[in-house]
Amino acid sequence: MTPPPAASVAAMIRPAPRVKESATNRDILAVMDGAPIGYWLLLLLSVSLMMLAGGIWFYQVYKGLGIAGYAHPVFWGVYIVTFVFWVGIAHAGTLISAILFLFRAKWRNAINRGAEAMTVFAVLTAMQFLGIHVGRMWKSYFILPYPNQRGLWVNFKSPLLWDTFAIATYATISILFLFVGLIPDIAIARDRATGWKKVLYSALALGWQGTSGQWKSHNRSVLHLSGLATPLVLSVHSVVSWDFAVTIVPGWHTTIFAPYFVAGAIFSGFAMVLTLMIPIRRIWKLEAYITDYHFENMSRFILLTSIIVGYAYISEYFIAWYSGVEPEQTAFWLRAFGPYWISTWIMIICNGVLPQLLWFPKLRVNVPFLFVLSVFINIGMWFERYVIIISGLSREYVPAVWGVFVPSWPEMGILAGSFGFFCTFFLIFLKLFPIIAIAEMKEIAIHDKAHAAGLAAEGAH
Amino acid sequence: MPIVMGYYDLPAQAAGVVTKLRARGFADIETYAPAPFPEVEDAVDPKPSKVRLLTLIGGLIGVWAGYAMTIWMSNNWQILVGGKPYASIPPYTIIAFELTILFAGVLTVLGLFIHGGLPNFKTSKAYSPRFSAEEFGVVVQCQDRDVAEVDALLRDFEATEVTLVEA
Repeated sequence: MTPPPAASVAAMIRPAPRVKESATNRDILAVMDGAPIGYWLLLLLSVSLMMLAGGIWFYQVYKGLGIAGYAHPVFWGVYIVTFVFWVGIAHAGTLISAILFLFRAKWRNAINRGAEAMTVFAVLTAMQFLGIHVGRMWKSYFILPYPNQRGLWVNFKSPLLWDTFAIATYATISILFLFVGLIPDIAIARDRATGWKKVLYSALALGWQGTSGQWKSHNRSVLHLSGLATPLVLSVHSVVSWDFAVTIVPGWHTTIFAPYFVAGAIFSGFAMVLTLMIPIRRIWKLEAYITDYHFENMSRFILLTSIIVGYAYISEYFIAWYSGVEPEQTAFWLRAFGPYWISTWIMIICNGVLPQLLWFPKLRVNVPFLFVLSVFINIGMWFERYVIIISGLSREYVPAVWGVFVPSWPEMGILAGSFGFFCTFFLIFLKLFPIIAIAEMKEIAIHDKAHAAGLAAEGAH
Repeated sequence: MPIVMGYYDLPAQAAGVVTKLRARGFADIETYAPAPFPEVEDAVDPKPSKVRLLTLIGGLIGVWAGYAMTIWMSNNWQILVGGKPYASIPPYTIIAFELTILFAGVLTVLGLFIHGGLPNFKTSKAYSPRFSAEEFGVVVQCQDRDVAEVDALLRDFEATEVTLVEA
C-alpha cells in the first residue's frame, strides 16, 4: 500500500490545543510580576543605606583611614570583621547547591536558587571590604600578580594572597553556578515575557530549548560544578581562617580555625537563608514550594553546626588553659571578662545557646520563631568575628601596647551600607529572576505525575 | 524532508517512542523536555556527555598554571629567608588548588556551551513554549513515504497530539 502523502496526514491531525500552562511556572513567575508596597519601601531603604555608605566611603578616602578608628594596636577593624561575616554568609548557597546536590537531597530544590543568589551577592559585598579596608581602593590591583616595571611579584607564601585566589575563585564559580542553573528558568521566563523583558531573557537564555543534548550537557555541567564547588566551599573559609591562624597572635594561632570557621560559615549562611526565605515565602504565598519540611531540615543543619561551633568555643578555652601558655590563657580570660565581654557573651548565647532550642521538634517548624532565631544568629556570628579579630589584636603579648578599640561611626555606617548593598541586589534579583529553581521543581512534579500514572495503570489491569 | 512532532505528558512515553523510532532506523530525532530526565536523553544518545573531558583539561591547566606561576614568580623575585629554597610547595598548593577549581569550572561551562550548542539564537521551528511548561516533544525528520509510519509510532506511545512541523 502506498502511504498517504504528507499533506493528507497533516489534514488528519487535530488543531493544536492551547498551551497547558504549568502551575509551577505560574506560581513561581508570579513573584516576578508586580510587588507589594513593602517591597519598594525595602528597596528604597536598601538603596539609601548603600548610598549613605558610598558617601561615607568618599569621606574616608578624603580624610584617610584614621576616621575608621584604626589606631595602634588594632589595624584590622570592623571592615575585616564584616568581610569575614559576608564570606561566611556566602557559604550556605554552595553547600545547599553543591553538597546537597551530590548527596541527592532533593529538598534543596526549593531553596537552592535563593541560596545561590545570596551567595553571589554576599561574596560581592565581602569583596568590597577588602578595598574599603586597604584605604586606597584604586590600588587594590596590587594584590594580583601582574608584570610590572619594578620587576617584583606578590608573595605567594602570604595567607592574604591565598585569600585573593580563594575569594576570586569562589566568586567566579558561584556566579557560574547560579547562571548555569538559571539558563533553563530564564528560557521559561523568555517564553512568557513581553517587551524589554523578552529581549533581556532572550539574550540571557542563550537560545535554550531543552533539547536532549542541552539537558545532557547541563546535567553533566551541574554535576561537575558541584563536585568542584564542594572542596572549594570548604577551602574558602579555611583560607580565610588561615589569615588569622598563620599569625602568632594569641587566640588566633590555632589549628582548629579551619573547621571552626567552615562550620560557623555554614551556620550563619543557613541562618541568612532563613532570614531571606521566610519573608519571601510569606509575601508571595509560596507555602506549596517552601514547606515545613524545608524548615525542619534547615533547622537541623543549624542545630548541628551550632553544636560544632559551640564545641569549638569550648575547645578553644580548654586548649588555652591546657597549653599552659600565659598569653593564650590571658587572651581567652580577657575575651570573657575583659573589655569585650559583651561581644563574647552575645556570641556564645546567640550561636551556642539559643540554637539549642531547636532540639524541640515544634520549634523547628515554628516559622516566626525561626525568623527571630535566624536574626539572632546573624548578629551572633558578626560578633564572633568581632571577638576573634578585635580582642585578639588589642591584647597581644606585651601589656604596654594593649589598647581598646571602639568602632567609629564611619565603620558602622559602611557596615549598615553593606546590608543595603546586599539587599538591593537581592531584591532586584527577586524581581528579575525566578527565586525558586522552576525546572528542578518541575522535575519533581513530573516524577510525581509519572508515578501517579503508573499506579493508575496498575490499578486498571 | 518532512518533520513530524509528537507531544507527550510523561518522560517514559517520550523515552519509549524515541527508543522505538531508533530501532526502526530513524536517526534524525530530537527531544524537547521541560526538565532533565536521563531516560529521555539517553534514548536519543546513550553516550555520556563530553563535557567531562573539558573539565579534566581545565583542571589540568589549572593545577599546572598554579604551580608554574608561583614557582616561576618566586624564582624571578626571590625572597630568601634563612637559606631556604625560594619556592615553598605547601603554600603554593593552595594557589594551585584554587586555580584547578577555577579553570575546571570555567571550562565546564564552556563545555556546556559547546556541547549544548549555546548560544544559539535561531529558535528551531519545532520548539514551542509548551516544552517550557510541562510537555515533552519528540521531533522526527523522515522521508515523505515514512510520515504515516512515524505518525502511527508517535501515537502508539499515547501522544497527546501529533503535528507536521514541516511538510
